[in-house]
Amino acid sequence: MVLVCATSLSGSAQEAGEGDAAKAVRVLEDERVKAQSRNDNHALDLIFDNALVYIESGKLVTKGDYLSRIKSANPQLQQIVPEAMTVRTVENTAIVVGTYRETYVKDGKSSSKRWRFVDTWVKKQGSWMLVAAAAVPLSK
Amino acid sequence: MIARMLEAGTTVKTLMLVALLACVRTSASFAPADADSDAEAKVVAMQHMWGQAYVSKDPKALERILDDAFVNVDSDGMLQTKAEVVAEVNTSTTAQFLTESMAVHLHGGTAIVTGVFEIKGVSRGKPYAQRERFVDTWLYKNGQWISIAGLVTRLGQ
Repeated sequence: MVLVCATSLSGSAQEAGEGDAAKAVRVLEDERVKAQSRNDNHALDLIFDNALVYIESGKLVTKGDYLSRIKSANPQLQQIVPEAMTVRTVENTAIVVGTYRETYVKDGKSSSKRWRFVDTWVKKQGSWMLVAAAAVPLSK
Repeated sequence: MIARMLEAGTTVKTLMLVALLACVRTSASFAPADADSDAEAKVVAMQHMWGQAYVSKDPKALERILDDAFVNVDSDGMLQTKAEVVAEVNTSTTAQFLTESMAVHLHGGTAIVTGVFEIKGVSRGKPYAQRERFVDTWLYKNGQWISIAGLVTRLGQ
């Protein structure tokens, strides 16, 4: 269902001056996008915390729900292109805010929608884990 | 302050109390969040305070709850800073803020809160009711929980 264009956002002005933690989280965000593009449940399983809460289109989805859907998804139906991303780290927590464009086919016609997302990462036993992810469609 | 108290003839007991309070505050500032056994209750209480701030138009309450670098994504997908959210409270038309559900997920010094609330009010002479799902991120910082990020998305009626 989801084909993600793993557009690298590295080298952007926003990235300049980021600390190592922020860079590590940015790399993980890119890996997550690539894993989604491959329907790679194993990679996503390692990135997602077991208590992940995911909110999309107003619905609350668990890690299990999300992974089972990715497993059976048709990657030709949807495409996601990341646009911008800022990463802020405070101790063992990182907040990522950004936008992406989603294109999809509905009733035989191609449409697109832009979303703004907020992801929360927590460093656990040396590894950054995604503990919350949510997105809202941009109305303008 | 202590010098003034001594001048005023403050008792030794009072000075000991001041010292004890100082120690408690200091240890709280550096205590790991895991040591905060009431973390969930505290975060839930502040979530309720957050909602009620819109009803009572109390920007000062939000000043205390939100981190200076707080970011929020509203239900239109717009990005808001702490200053913008606090200013929004001043012009709030919310008459009722009802929390339907709330769940707290603790990750050490970080708490993720998800839930659903309903707001009711009157805007431009017309009554409205809106249900929204939210996800907020809280951080245990300097001995207290503060929110560092939030997002709300509309739900059907």
